[in-house]
Amino acid sequence: MSAEGLSQAKKIVIVGGGAVGLEVARQLTERGERVRVVDDREAVVEKARAQGFSAERISFQNDEELKRIGIGGEVDVLFALLDDDASNVFLVISARAMAPELPIVSISGVRDTIERLHAAGATKVIDPYRISGYKIYERMHRPLIAETLEHTVFGKVNLDIAEIHVREGCFLHGKYLDELSLEERYNLIVLGVVDRELGDHLIFATDPRRHRMDDGDVLVVIGPEEAFRKFHAQLNAVEQ
Amino acid sequence: MKLSDLVIRLAYQMEESEGYKRAKQAVYDLLENPHSRARPYFDSLMMALVLSSVFLLLYSVKHHLGAWAGWFEAVAVSFFILEYLGRMWVYSSVHRIVLDEYEKSELINEPFRLSRAVWNILRSKWSYMSSPMAIIDLLAILPSYRSLRILRLFLLFRLFKMFRYAHSIQQFGSVLREKRIELFSLFAFLTFVLLVGSSVIYLFESRETGGQIEGFFEGIYWSLVTLSTVGYGDITPQSFEGRLVTMVLIISGLGVLSFFTSIIVSAFQEKMGEVRDRRVAMLLEKKKGYTVICGFGRVGQVVAEYLAKDKLPFVVIDSNAEAVELARRLGYLVVEGKSERIGLLQMLGVGRSAGKILCLTGDDVVNVYVTLSARQLDENITIISRANQRQSVDKLLHAGADHAIEPFKIVGLIAGEYVGQPVAFEAIHGIVMGEKDITLETIRVPPDSWLDGKTIGEVPLEDMRLILFGVSTPMDRSSDHVRSHFDLESRRFHFNPGADFVLQADDMLLVFGHKYSVLHMRQQLKSGRKRR
Repeated sequence: MSAEGLSQAKKIVIVGGGAVGLEVARQLTERGERVRVVDDREAVVEKARAQGFSAERISFQNDEELKRIGIGGEVDVLFALLDDDASNVFLVISARAMAPELPIVSISGVRDTIERLHAAGATKVIDPYRISGYKIYERMHRPLIAETLEHTVFGKVNLDIAEIHVREGCFLHGKYLDELSLEERYNLIVLGVVDRELGDHLIFATDPRRHRMDDGDVLVVIGPEEAFRKFHAQLNAVEQ
Repeated sequence: MKLSDLVIRLAYQMEESEGYKRAKQAVYDLLENPHSRARPYFDSLMMALVLSSVFLLLYSVKHHLGAWAGWFEAVAVSFFILEYLGRMWVYSSVHRIVLDEYEKSELINEPFRLSRAVWNILRSKWSYMSSPMAIIDLLAILPSYRSLRILRLFLLFRLFKMFRYAHSIQQFGSVLREKRIELFSLFAFLTFVLLVGSSVIYLFESRETGGQIEGFFEGIYWSLVTLSTVGYGDITPQSFEGRLVTMVLIISGLGVLSFFTSIIVSAFQEKMGEVRDRRVAMLLEKKKGYTVICGFGRVGQVVAEYLAKDKLPFVVIDSNAEAVELARRLGYLVVEGKSERIGLLQMLGVGRSAGKILCLTGDDVVNVYVTLSARQLDENITIISRANQRQSVDKLLHAGADHAIEPFKIVGLIAGEYVGQPVAFEAIHGIVMGEKDITLETIRVPPDSWLDGKTIGEVPLEDMRLILFGVSTPMDRSSDHVRSHFDLESRRFHFNPGADFVLQADDMLLVFGHKYSVLHMRQQLKSGRKRR
């Protein structure tokens, strides 16, 4: 689901350099984001450095130090991936106080903590165990779908899920979802649209209530990378 | 030709005969094999036979029955005799003993002695006949010689035969056997108290001294009645000394009774886990292709939750008492124990009827070990394992896992997608995780259905409110019109095939849609009408 070339690399801070933190750092680096790992344990920081990440030791209980690494400033996304839930909650609360708009992603496998992290201000809480459990279940009972998704959308193959932002003046503006026919023209499948004014849920493309697109809507689209490139070229050309 | 040569040739013939082996296996399955399908039916039949024959014998004490009762008794007894002989037959292999003896004598270059082989045969059969259950079987046959009154007592042994057929009675027997040391010491103490009590009461209460005790046997009888706190009162002590002994006996009787009760109770408590496990194994015995979940941590809990929602059979193993308690509370089949134990896996049907095994503990060493054991037990079982570290994936696959799932890698993937496109991510994530009404589903093209042979353009997907993601076909299919296809492990996935892509039987359509739309489409296909 990458969108290289379409947007600039984001500045990401990962707090917590454990197994999860380093795995996330690895994946994000592969996608071309600018990643920085911070932790309050020297050994962990050393390990992260040894694996080639930019790492730093800070005490995340100190707001000054958080500010110094760019929270409330240039950081685009913050990951709170410490090993214990209480520290994550504390970190999320501190960061939220400093940067009200910053997307904060955290992790927990316990239902109560997930709620608490949301209450503390986390934008997104990942439950790795639920997802792994579901993947296993899918593997057993919907093997074809599991295999297809694993190899295409979530795999190395260049089939991506991406979002297209509708702006005033672009040729999507004012059109209905079902009259786009991007499937044939661009080899892109439109899943639906998220109207930010109505909330975050996806309006499915075949929804009987027809949706007219306007400024701020986000189209959710699946397609090969080159199709996106072609589409964006067209989009920009029309805009100019 | 000498007799011994004849015997050896016969033994070799038996060794080679397929029919003989099959017959013996069939008898073994019927009588002894705890996992055979026929066994429960046979056990129930024998139980019914035992109960009805005992009932008839009791009934005939006061009533006169017709000739059919005699016939029934004859049938029952002949069943018992056949069963006895059958068990003796499968207990050991006569021709094998002869051959072993012969081959041994060949090895040490000595002449084969038939007498020694016969001796070995007799010894092995005797070891069967002298086993407690075999003795009970034999005694259960005897009451048919009803000329002897005492033999009627052996009627009871027919009831003892129930031990063979009912698991719960067997468990009771094994509980008693385990506590035999405690029971023995209790019995010794009881004998001592009885002896003292009856001697004293005989001394003070015999007829000669003005009491009611006739002989020493009555003394023992009275002591036991008093000791057990039953106290019929048909014999009562009259003298001061006699009453003193009574008081002592009653108090020690209380002690004996409570001691006995506590032994039995504690024995059952210790056995409780085992009884439960056996119950789980018995419940599983009836199912096929169920899933064994090793490790009831967070991942295991989620998988169990999804399986339970779909009403699919599964069993959980965990060594942690808390996790086991949680699973039990949720109503799952669960066994407490280490999944590394091969015996436990076998008891739960791995290698027989289990279809899948999931190794989901937090310890990669355990996961690898269980994967390896499961693959050894069953070549065809599906194994999915959890890799907590990246290095373990190769080891798990090497050990025989079909798939390895890495929770942390999944977090990384999701994090990456989230950073890239948060809006699209939230949308697709809900669909992929099955949390929304909109799902991604497969629809198979049945042979000769109205889909078979049609092009994509002819299928009214839009009217059915479905969005085609792609078509999964066998590897060898290619089409000029497909703009992008991807080769998976065994199938080819055609993304967004054009309107002129021709569908063939057994192709799979992958569609996004509301679950009711998908259901509707599947129903239309099932009705099987070939629309033109």
